[in-house]
Amino acid sequence: MKKITVLNQVSSSTLTLSVLVCSALSSTAFAHDMVPATAQSSSIIFKNATVHTVIDGVKHNTNLLIQDGVIKAIGPEISAPEAQIFDASNKHIYPGLIALDTSMGLVEVEMMRPSNDSYDIGLSNPQLEAITAFNPDSEIIPTVRVNGITHAQVVPQGERLAGQSALVSMDSWTIEDALVPSTMGFHLYWPKQGALPQDEKKREKQLKQHRKDLKQLATIFEEGYRYSLASKAKKLSKQDIRWQSMLPLYRGDAQLFVHANRQKQIEEAVSLAKQYGFKLVIVGGYDAWRLGELLNEIEAKVIYTKTLSLPMRKDEPLEMSFKIPALLKQANIPFALGFTSDWNSRNLPLAAGQTVAYGLSKEDALQSITLDAAKILGAESMGALAPGYAANLVISGGDILDPMMTKIEKVYIDGREVDLNNRQQQLYQKYLKR
Amino acid sequence: MHNKITSITIITALTFSYIKNSSANDQLTDNTPKLTALTHANLMIEPGEVLENATLVIKNNKIIEIIKDNKVPQHAFVIDLSGYTIYPGFIDPFTNYAIDFKYPKIETSPPIYEIKRIGGNAENGAIHSEKEWFNFVYPNNEKALDWVNNGFTSVQSSNLDGIFRGRGVTLSLADKRANDIIYHARANHFVAFDKGSSPQDYPSSLMGSIALIRQTLSDAKWYKENKHKSFAKTQNTLVEFNAALAGLGTIENDPLLFDTRNLNNQLRAAKLIKEHKLDASLLGNGKEYARIDELKTFPFELILPLNFPEAPKVGDSDNEREVSLATMRHWERAPGNLKVVSDAEIPFALTQHGIKPERFWPRLRQAINYGLTEEAALAALTTDAAAIAGIDEISGRLKPGFMADLVIAKGNIFQDGEIHSVWLQGEETQLINRNTSLLNQNIQLQIGALTLDLELDNTSQENLSGALSSGEQQLPLSNLDYQDRRLTFSADMTPAGFDGINRFTLWFDKQGVHGRMLDKQGAVTSLAGITTDNLSSADQATTEQAPNYISTLTSPNVAYGKEIAAQAENLHISNATIWTSDKQGVLSNSDLIVSRGEIKRIGQNLSTPSGYTFIDATGKHLTAGIVDEHSHIAINGGINEGTDAITSEVRVGDIINPDDIGIYRALSGGVTTAQILHGSANPIGGQAQVIQMKWGESASSLKYQQAKPSIKFALGENVKQSNWGDKFTRRFPQSRMGVKSLFNEAFNEAQAYQSALDNYQDLRGSEKRRRVAPQPNYRLEAIAEVLAQERDVHIHSYVQSEILMFLRLAEAYQFKVGTFTHILEGYKVADEMAAHGASASTFSDWWAYKFEVYDAIPQNTCLMQNKGVLTSINSDDFEMQRRLNQEAAKSIMYCDMSPEDAWNMITINPAIQLGVDEYLGSITEGKQADIVLWDHSPLSVYAQVQAAWIEGKRYFDRKTDREMQQKVSVERAALIQKILAEQNSDKSLPPGEVIDEIDEPEWHCDTHYDVWRQGGAI
Repeated sequence: MKKITVLNQVSSSTLTLSVLVCSALSSTAFAHDMVPATAQSSSIIFKNATVHTVIDGVKHNTNLLIQDGVIKAIGPEISAPEAQIFDASNKHIYPGLIALDTSMGLVEVEMMRPSNDSYDIGLSNPQLEAITAFNPDSEIIPTVRVNGITHAQVVPQGERLAGQSALVSMDSWTIEDALVPSTMGFHLYWPKQGALPQDEKKREKQLKQHRKDLKQLATIFEEGYRYSLASKAKKLSKQDIRWQSMLPLYRGDAQLFVHANRQKQIEEAVSLAKQYGFKLVIVGGYDAWRLGELLNEIEAKVIYTKTLSLPMRKDEPLEMSFKIPALLKQANIPFALGFTSDWNSRNLPLAAGQTVAYGLSKEDALQSITLDAAKILGAESMGALAPGYAANLVISGGDILDPMMTKIEKVYIDGREVDLNNRQQQLYQKYLKR
Repeated sequence: MHNKITSITIITALTFSYIKNSSANDQLTDNTPKLTALTHANLMIEPGEVLENATLVIKNNKIIEIIKDNKVPQHAFVIDLSGYTIYPGFIDPFTNYAIDFKYPKIETSPPIYEIKRIGGNAENGAIHSEKEWFNFVYPNNEKALDWVNNGFTSVQSSNLDGIFRGRGVTLSLADKRANDIIYHARANHFVAFDKGSSPQDYPSSLMGSIALIRQTLSDAKWYKENKHKSFAKTQNTLVEFNAALAGLGTIENDPLLFDTRNLNNQLRAAKLIKEHKLDASLLGNGKEYARIDELKTFPFELILPLNFPEAPKVGDSDNEREVSLATMRHWERAPGNLKVVSDAEIPFALTQHGIKPERFWPRLRQAINYGLTEEAALAALTTDAAAIAGIDEISGRLKPGFMADLVIAKGNIFQDGEIHSVWLQGEETQLINRNTSLLNQNIQLQIGALTLDLELDNTSQENLSGALSSGEQQLPLSNLDYQDRRLTFSADMTPAGFDGINRFTLWFDKQGVHGRMLDKQGAVTSLAGITTDNLSSADQATTEQAPNYISTLTSPNVAYGKEIAAQAENLHISNATIWTSDKQGVLSNSDLIVSRGEIKRIGQNLSTPSGYTFIDATGKHLTAGIVDEHSHIAINGGINEGTDAITSEVRVGDIINPDDIGIYRALSGGVTTAQILHGSANPIGGQAQVIQMKWGESASSLKYQQAKPSIKFALGENVKQSNWGDKFTRRFPQSRMGVKSLFNEAFNEAQAYQSALDNYQDLRGSEKRRRVAPQPNYRLEAIAEVLAQERDVHIHSYVQSEILMFLRLAEAYQFKVGTFTHILEGYKVADEMAAHGASASTFSDWWAYKFEVYDAIPQNTCLMQNKGVLTSINSDDFEMQRRLNQEAAKSIMYCDMSPEDAWNMITINPAIQLGVDEYLGSITEGKQADIVLWDHSPLSVYAQVQAAWIEGKRYFDRKTDREMQQKVSVERAALIQKILAEQNSDKSLPPGEVIDEIDEPEWHCDTHYDVWRQGGAI
C-alpha cells in the first residue's frame, strides 16, 4: 500500500512563511487598515504563466506585460527593456474578479445598527446613491480582495426602488477614487409573492396586497415618466429629486436592476421594462432560466445570486441552485454570478466553482465572475486579460475556483500591486507569536 | 353515490326542525307510563350483529328488552318501524360541547416569566389538571344539534385549552338538566402539547412542552407520595398545596386523551405516554396512513377527524410550483386513511372535531367508498368510541340495561340511508318527520271529474317543487309548503278548466290524500287522492370502485422519500483512493470490503467474496461519512426553548423530525452523522441529540444510541439577549459577568440537588417513608450529570474572555468541558484550551455579522490545531451542511493545513467530540460502514457525492436521485391533472378542509419562535 503525499504543508512551513510576512509587515505594525497602493510606475512582465484570458481561452507558458495600469501584450515573445520581470512559472493569472450585488463598505458589522448603511425606508428612493455611504476603509474589503476580488458592485437595499449602485475598486483612499465608471443602475426590489394560502380570506388578502404593491409601483414609474416628458419638453417648473435622478433611465442611459426570483415576479418586471423600454437586469433570478425567450426579446440580463442556497422549493432537485447557471447558459440568457453579501462576498470564486460539477464549464464559471459581470455593469475594458484591458490581475499558485488549490500571491488593480494583508491576517500573525 | 349524498343532506336541510317531545307541566309530577316498543325494525345490536324484524323495548331512559318475534308487551306504546334500522347512538369522544369557560386574560406585556399563584394552581399557566369539567357543564340545546343531526347521542367534552387541560366529562346530548346528562363525570384527562392561551412564555417550543409534561407527571407522583408526610411535626417544611398536581394523583389508572395536530406529534405523544406506562387515546390528524406501521406498535386507540383537505391550488401554474408533492399526495389519499387504520387493526373512534357537522356523513361515506368497512365504521361510532369515553357499560350497543340512545334510519346509513330520528335517553328527536316520506309517492288527485297526477320533487335544496299533470299537460305549482302531513300549494288551473289561480290544502294519511281547493271566487272544491308506490331512491344504488391511487406512498411521504427501505449491502469497493481519517492517512488504489454494515477489510487487489456487490471505484475517492458537530436540521417546533435562562430539561431527542428533506440534502453532501443542538438563546439550553441521516426511517431509528449524552450551553451576545430588541432586557443575565454568575448558581443548585438525593438514598427504609423525598427536577438533574461528567458540554462561545471564564469555572467544579462550539476567538486562548483538554468546533470563515465575531479569523482552525486543540468544522446551517467538505478545504487555502488534517476536521475529529469515534468517523476495520464515494478529491469544489452508506445501507445514490427527480416530476404532473379534473367534475362532495401548512423556518442557533403562537398547526 502506497501512502500518498498530498501537498504537504506542515506546520513548520507555515511558520516560516509567517515569519516572512511578519517582517514585511513590521513597518505598518498592525495598522488599522492597509495603505492603498500607488500608481504603477514601472512595467512588469509576468513570465511563463498560465494566463486565463477569459476572452481568448487559456494560454499556457506565456508572458503578460502590464504598463501604466493597462495590459499591453500577451504572448510567448514579449520584451520590454525597462520592465520588471516576475517569474510566474507554475502560476495562473486571472482577471480580477468582480463581486456583484454586495453591501461592501456599506456594512461593517451587520447586527450593529450604527455600522449599517445599506438600507433606507420608503418605496421610492431612486435618488439614493450607494457610493455616498461607501467606506473605503472598511476592514472587510482587504479580507475580500485577498481572494482575488478586485471590484465590487455596491448595492443599496430597500423596500422597493432603493437607489443607485456603484462599481468600486477594492483599493482606494476615498469614495471618489474608489468609483469605477459603469452604466448607471437603479435597484428595484420587486414585491414578493409567496405560495397562495389555501384559506380563501388569506388568499384574497395576499392577492389584494400584491395588486396594491404593483399599483404603487406602476404609479412610481408613471410619475417618473411624466417628469421625464416634462423635462424633455423643458416644461419643468420645480425639481423633484426623485424623478430628476431617474431621467437617465427613461432616456435609456441607465439600467434597471430588478431583484426578483420567482417566475411571476420576473414576468411582471419584464412587462414594466417593456412599457418604458428600460434596460433590464434581473438580480436573484432563480426562475429566470425558464424565461429565455421573454428575457432575450428585450435583451435582459441576469445576475444569479443563489448558487450557494438551498432549493427554493421542497420538491426541486437537490442540486437546483447549483445547476441554474448551466440552465441559464442553455437558455442563452446573458448572466453573471453574484453573491449577495458583504463579508461573505469573498466566497464568490467558490460559488462559481460550485457550478462546474453541475454543468457549467470551468471557463464559463470564471467568465461569469469576470467578463460577464463587467459587461452587465457596462464597465469597459475589465474582466478579461487582453491588450487594452485594465491591469486587474490575480496571480495564484493554483485554481482560483477551488479553495483546496487556490494560493493567491499577488493582486493588481490598474497595475497597482495591492497589499494582501488584512485585519484577519494581522490577528493571525499576532497570535502566532503567542 | 354522490347524488345520494346530496339528497340526504338536502332532506335534512329541508325538513329541519327539532321536534322535541314537550315536557310535562313542571308543577305536576310526570307519571306518564314510559314503555315504548319499537317494532319490526332491523336492530344493529353491535358491529357485526344484526337482528332483523325485531322489537326494542324502552322503559324510561333505558333499553329493557330486545324481542325477536315482535311479541310486544300489551301495555307498551308501539311504534311500528317496519323498513327502519335502529343503530346504537353514536359517540364523539373529542368535543368541547356544553363547556362554557375561558381563562381570564392577564394584562401584562410579554415576556412573562411567571404567573400568579391563585388557589393552589400550577406553577405553569398551561397546566390545569385541577379542573374537572363536569363542574362547568351548561347544556346547550342548539349546539347539541351539531351532533344530534348526525346521529350522535353522547360526547366527551373538555375545555380544549392548555397542556394539561383538566378532566373531561362524558355527556348525553339530551335536552335535559346538566345533572341528568352527565354519564361519566371524570372521564379522560385531556392533554396537548399546545400551551393554548397561557400567557406565560415557557414553554415556547414543542420540546419545552414535552419537558413540562414529563416534569409535571413526575411532580404529581412525588406530590402524591410526599404531601402528606410534610404535615408531620418532624418535617421543617410544609410542601405547598397544589391542586393541579393533586388532580393527577390517580393518573396511572385514568386514561389520557392526547390532542395532537400532526403525525409526528401523534407519535411523540404515543412515545411519551408509553414512557410513563400510562394509557391514552390519541386524537389523530388524517395522515396516519403515512406511518401506520410505527403507529401500530403502540397500544393506543385513535380518535380520527374526517378532515379531508381541499384540493391544493394548482390551477395557477406559478402557484402550483409552490405546492409540495406531499400536499398533493395527501389530497389524494386522505379519504383512504380510515381504511388503512382499520386494516392495521388499530381501534379508533370518529370525531366531528375540526370540520363542519354537515361534512361528516358525506366524508364518512367517502371513506367507505375508499374501502372502510361498514362494520368498522359502526364500531368507530359506537363501541370503540364508548370505550374511549368511558361509557361502554351503558352506551354503544343495543342491549338491555343500556341507555336508550338510538339512531333510527331508513336504509343503510353508510350507503344511501337517512337518519330519521335520534333517541336521547328514551326521548325521540325527529330529524325527518316520518311523514315526509309520504311525499315520495305517486298521488292521483281527483278534482271533480278530473284526475290529475300530483308530482312532487323534494330534492332541491331550498324548495319543494311540483306540478299537476295530465298526459302531456303540466301545471306548475307554486307556494308549496309541507308541514307535518299538511301540504299547501297554488296553481293556475285555467288550462284544466278551473278559472284562475287556485289554492290547495292536502292532508296525508295512511289511506291516501284528502283536502280542498279554493278557487278564484273563494269557492271550495273537495279533493281526494290515492297513493301508489313510492318513487324514492331505489334507482340510485350504485357501488363505487375502490379508488385507484396515482400517488406513491413513500417513507417519509414527501418528494424523494423512499419507496423501499434501504437494505444493508455487502460490498467490495475496488481501486479507490481511500481517505481513512485514521493513522493510515490516504491510501491510493485500495479496496474496501463491507460486510453486515461493518468495515471488514481494507487492502489492495482484494477478491470479491461471492454474493458481494462489486463497485469499481477507479478514479474515485472513498471517505468516512462526514460528521457535523453542530446542526439544527430535522426537528419540529422550535430549536430554542430559550424562555428561561436555564432549560436543561428540554431534549432535542423529543422533537426529531424524520420527514425533513434536510436529512436527504445532508446525505447528498456526504454528511451521515450530526449532533442536533438546542439553540443559543439561553446560557443553559437543552439536551442534544446525535442523529444519523437514515432517510426513510422513523424518528427513533435516526437517533444514534451510542452517542454520549450532551447538552448545549451558550455564552455571549445571544444569551444576554443583546440582539433581541428592547422588550428583552429584564431576564438575568444581561452581561457576560452575569452569565458567569448564572452558571455558578446553576452548578451550586445542581450540586445541592444531587447531595439531597444522595442523602435521601442513604436513609433507612422506615426513615424514607417518613421524610419528604427531594422533588425530582429534570432541569437540575441534567446539570448534575454535567458535573458528574456523564453529560458532555457543547458550549456556544466566541470571545476569549468568556472562553477562559468558562474553562476556569469548569475547573472549579471539577468537570472537563467537552467542546467549545463556534469558538471564533479560540485561537487567542488555544493554549489554555489545550491544557484543559477541551476541543473546538468552528466555522471556516464566518465573521463580522455581529460584534462578538469581529475578531474571527479563517486561520482559527490552524492556530488551534497547531496548539493541540482537537478541532472540527461545523455547519450550523441547512445549506452549508451539504458543503462541509468545501468548508474544511478553506483551511488549506487560508492557513496551509494539510489535506488529511482538513479532512479529519469533518470526520474523526467531530466523531471524537461526540464520543462516537469508537464506532465511526474513520475508515477503520471494525467500525460501522458509514462511507461516502466521491468522483473527485472530497476536498475539491468539483467533487460530487456519488453514494453514501450508513451501516452498509445505501441511503443516497446519485443515479437513483436522478431517477427520483424524474419520478417526482411525473407524479406531480399526474396529480395536478387529477386535481384539475376532479375540481371540474365532482360538485357533490362537500368542499375540503383548508389546511395551510405552516412551513417551519430553517432553524438557526438564534431562531426565536414561539411555536404555539404561530397559528397552531404544530
